[in-house]
Amino acid sequence: MIALDSLFFENLLWTPLLIVLAKVLVVFVIGLLATLLMVWFERKAIAGMQNRVGPNKTGPFGILQTLADGIKLFFKEDLFPTRADRFVFVVAPFLSFVPAFLSFAIIPLGGDFRDGNSGEVTIFGQVTRIQLADPPIGVLFALAISSIAVYGIMLAGWSSGSKYPLLGSVRASAQMVSYEAALGLSLACVLLLAGTLSTSGIVAAQSTITDWHFVSTGLVPFFIFLIAATAELNRPPFDLVEAEQELVGGFNTEYSSIRFALFYLAEFMNTVTMSGLIVTLFFGGPQPIAFGDFVFDIPMLPNALEGSVWLLAKILVFLYLYVWFRATLPRLRYDQLMDWGWKLLIPASLGWFMLLAAQQLGRRNDWNIFLVTGACIAVLVICYLLLQAAFSRSSSQRERQGTMF
Amino acid sequence: MGQYLPIVVLAILAILFGVGSLIASKLLAPRRPNTAKGAPYECGIVPSLEAPERFPVSFYVVAMLFIMFDIEIIFAYPYAVASNSLGVYGFWELVAFSAVFFVAFVYVVARGALDWGPVKKPRRLVSRDGDILSESRSVSTTIRRVGFEGRETREKVSV
Repeated sequence: MIALDSLFFENLLWTPLLIVLAKVLVVFVIGLLATLLMVWFERKAIAGMQNRVGPNKTGPFGILQTLADGIKLFFKEDLFPTRADRFVFVVAPFLSFVPAFLSFAIIPLGGDFRDGNSGEVTIFGQVTRIQLADPPIGVLFALAISSIAVYGIMLAGWSSGSKYPLLGSVRASAQMVSYEAALGLSLACVLLLAGTLSTSGIVAAQSTITDWHFVSTGLVPFFIFLIAATAELNRPPFDLVEAEQELVGGFNTEYSSIRFALFYLAEFMNTVTMSGLIVTLFFGGPQPIAFGDFVFDIPMLPNALEGSVWLLAKILVFLYLYVWFRATLPRLRYDQLMDWGWKLLIPASLGWFMLLAAQQLGRRNDWNIFLVTGACIAVLVICYLLLQAAFSRSSSQRERQGTMF
Repeated sequence: MGQYLPIVVLAILAILFGVGSLIASKLLAPRRPNTAKGAPYECGIVPSLEAPERFPVSFYVVAMLFIMFDIEIIFAYPYAVASNSLGVYGFWELVAFSAVFFVAFVYVVARGALDWGPVKKPRRLVSRDGDILSESRSVSTTIRRVGFEGRETREKVSV
């Protein structure tokens, strides 16, 4: 099933174009507002966890703190390091800021997916989705765009012509590249069960709690995805990119004024987007929580709007989780980070994907499910032993290297 | 193609927002550059060393490995989406590809391409000169007394 936005099936007319413009504006403003509130939320929640008050002067509960910071940054001097590569230095913030907004476009922000509804709504006589764009490649688009964001960080550090930003950006690119593999492979498990790349299709396939597949995707792929997404976002405990104690501020050390604000905006926008993506892939996006026929229905709200409320609630859980991570977990060392990514997450996600694929194949062809699972587990155990042998060989070789000096 | 129109419009809007805020900052912010501000920021220490031009080879190995894994992912996605129609043949195709790929990965790991951090040096208790466990070595010869100079005399004064 390819779920496309039926808004674009006829010839483009003025009404659809206006709807597109309105949707783009609304999504952009939602993105900006979400970022502003997320920065405030993070500071306030962390302050609470550290027994501080946090921002409390600007507006009620300090909610306008981010806005005040943004306005302040407009009035700050915009410095150009003399040794910077000027063109790349200017382009780099855009390379991380624009993709942050683009990947937000494919997340279903609402709509009624219940009872086999397709999540489409009718606005001014035009049938469309509460989602900016629903391309058939869906999730692949988000992955592609998040790869472009690596360039932003990489080039920012490189073009600064300074020591610490360069170190930060090299770390960042190696880290993001490593965890992108784990991210992609754990995502493949979700796609295998949903059978589509389109985000609205994935959401439509998850209407009740049992369709969230707690065992097949909720157990291993979800946790791998969560960890890999945290690393991809460069958020604690994986924030080696801007490890203040070693690298001053990481890749954005030489950036000041509004250029720095663009990086900051991108970082928090990415956090919001990633939470949205997790909710979309693993927890039914705007679908209400439902057990079988029983649905937690919010009264007095049309179903399409109710989707947005559910989505917001689910996203907030993950945003809080990210803040919680930051307040609780100490930063990893670089070799630990790489070991986690390459030696644990990637093999685990690949193995789990093969297991799921074999199971699905067995179920379709009516093979003996125990036989299939047993064979899979046997193969996986052999692979695990092979990997362990490789690890022990590399570490013994390293010890021999150590004694040579 | 129309499905991507909103994304293009959003990209244009985001770029406009960025350019607009840069222009606003140019209009509002002061501009008084000097050599100190333009120098690489190193927490106030005057930069003496050049930024490194060579990096540990592990970074390049990771980049190459990533391409390998990316190809695996590219192989896995079409299967994941179309597993129904690809059937048994497609599955074995995936298994064969993953097996080749996994063997390569095991080889790379065994050769130590993914080892990071400094080489661990096991501590030798008896060194070549024998000075680590020598008899003439005691606590007072090993640990430098910091901050003890002058303390005894002051105590004498206070007594």
